[in-house]
Amino acid sequence: MRVAFVGKGGAGKSAISGTFARLLARRGHPVLAIDSDPLPGMAYSLGLPHDDAPLPDEAIEDRPDDEEGPRYRLRAGLSPVEAVERYAATAPDGVRFLQFGKVRTDPRALFRSQFAFRQIIRELPVDRWDLVGDLPGGTRQPFTGWGGYADTFLIVVEPMAKSLLSARRLARLASSGDRPVRVVAVANKVTEAVDAEHISRRTGLEVVAAVPLDPVFAAAERAGKAPLDAAPDSAGVQAVSSLVDRLEKEHPRMKVTP
Amino acid sequence: MDFSGQVVVADLEAGVGTLTRLGDAGVDKVLIIVEPTPKSVEVGSRAAAIVADKSLGEVVVVASRVQSDDDLAMIRKAFPDHQVVPVPDDPAIVAADRDGQAPLDTAPDAPAVQALTALAGDLLATA
Ligand SMILES: Nc1ncnc2c1ncn2[C@@H]1O[C@H](COP(=O)(O)OP(=O)(O)OP(=O)(O)O)[C@@H](O)[C@H]1O
Ligand SMILES: [Mg+2]
Repeated sequence: MRVAFVGKGGAGKSAISGTFARLLARRGHPVLAIDSDPLPGMAYSLGLPHDDAPLPDEAIEDRPDDEEGPRYRLRAGLSPVEAVERYAATAPDGVRFLQFGKVRTDPRALFRSQFAFRQIIRELPVDRWDLVGDLPGGTRQPFTGWGGYADTFLIVVEPMAKSLLSARRLARLASSGDRPVRVVAVANKVTEAVDAEHISRRTGLEVVAAVPLDPVFAAAERAGKAPLDAAPDSAGVQAVSSLVDRLEKEHPRMKVTP
Repeated sequence: MDFSGQVVVADLEAGVGTLTRLGDAGVDKVLIIVEPTPKSVEVGSRAAAIVADKSLGEVVVVASRVQSDDDLAMIRKAFPDHQVVPVPDDPAIVAADRDGQAPLDTAPDAPAVQALTALAGDLLATA
């Protein structure tokens, strides 16, 4: 399974994708969580104490002048699988966590790590990990290569005018690429029974989950905790769990290669 | 463009991406909107550092969605050198958003709108 969560800023991508990744891992899947948002987010919702986890310099080398290709790359002999095994952070429930790198005052500080991040995602074999991605908010980045690994885009939509507008744009962009992808909606912060129906009608998308507006999610956020740790039995977590069930049926468990 | 005698209010993209790409033109005030969460405080602190680095303008921290004294204290602690203006967590803002309306039209007397009205007055008086 290779899914990526997209949506307007603040829609709930990080809260849902982090919870989704851990619940999927609890069901026995090898999960690699991919955070390509330069703003903080997924690390907290996975339950990692630190937000910043770039690939270390020792994993990366400069491309020699006489060779074609990107400026930096994984050091010779280090395969993408090994790079993940060695350098990706380990979150609760065994989720591995790979990060694009967080914004710095000087963006150049992260160039090396970011080249390696892109290379890993491009070259990772499809049968090693299930991928769960948290993409940056808005419509600009997700489809210009950033979400290239995903076979399913889950657009997180709030029942609000701006969020619906943004979801419609995202749906159009997601389907206009050159490879076939599945695009569905996750209704979030739902307060009324008709919200999901409304979102489906206004976006033309199938709504695969309706996550209620759950005050414990917001409380977990304030405490800097993962929703799954702060409120494992909450309605919000249960809704994400149903989403995992549903997608798991469509993408049966892969064999774990030792 | 010449904006003298006019007020320009710009709503930047989330995060600090736009800030890192801004030239050094400068503005009168940079309003950094922060919620009482670790994530938000972290982004706000990075934004404040970039604004200082580039001398873009005077920072005012707007503490949004504040529910308690603890919320406000958490934000004040993260920005000890800046003016911090609280805006309470207010269901009227959420309701207006749901309806695609401006809060100033639908709920001019709501606490959050009042706080913002006062802030606008202050900015006009000092900028
Ligand atoms: N179902 C929910 N009920 C209540 N609060 C929620 C729910 N989902 C998310 N939130 C809260 O909404 C805020 C935004 O959520 P989150 O950070 O996950 O969004 P995001 O889409 O990743 O945002 P960004 O674009 O800034 O990365 C957080 O404070 C989060 O706790
Ligand atoms: Mg996020």
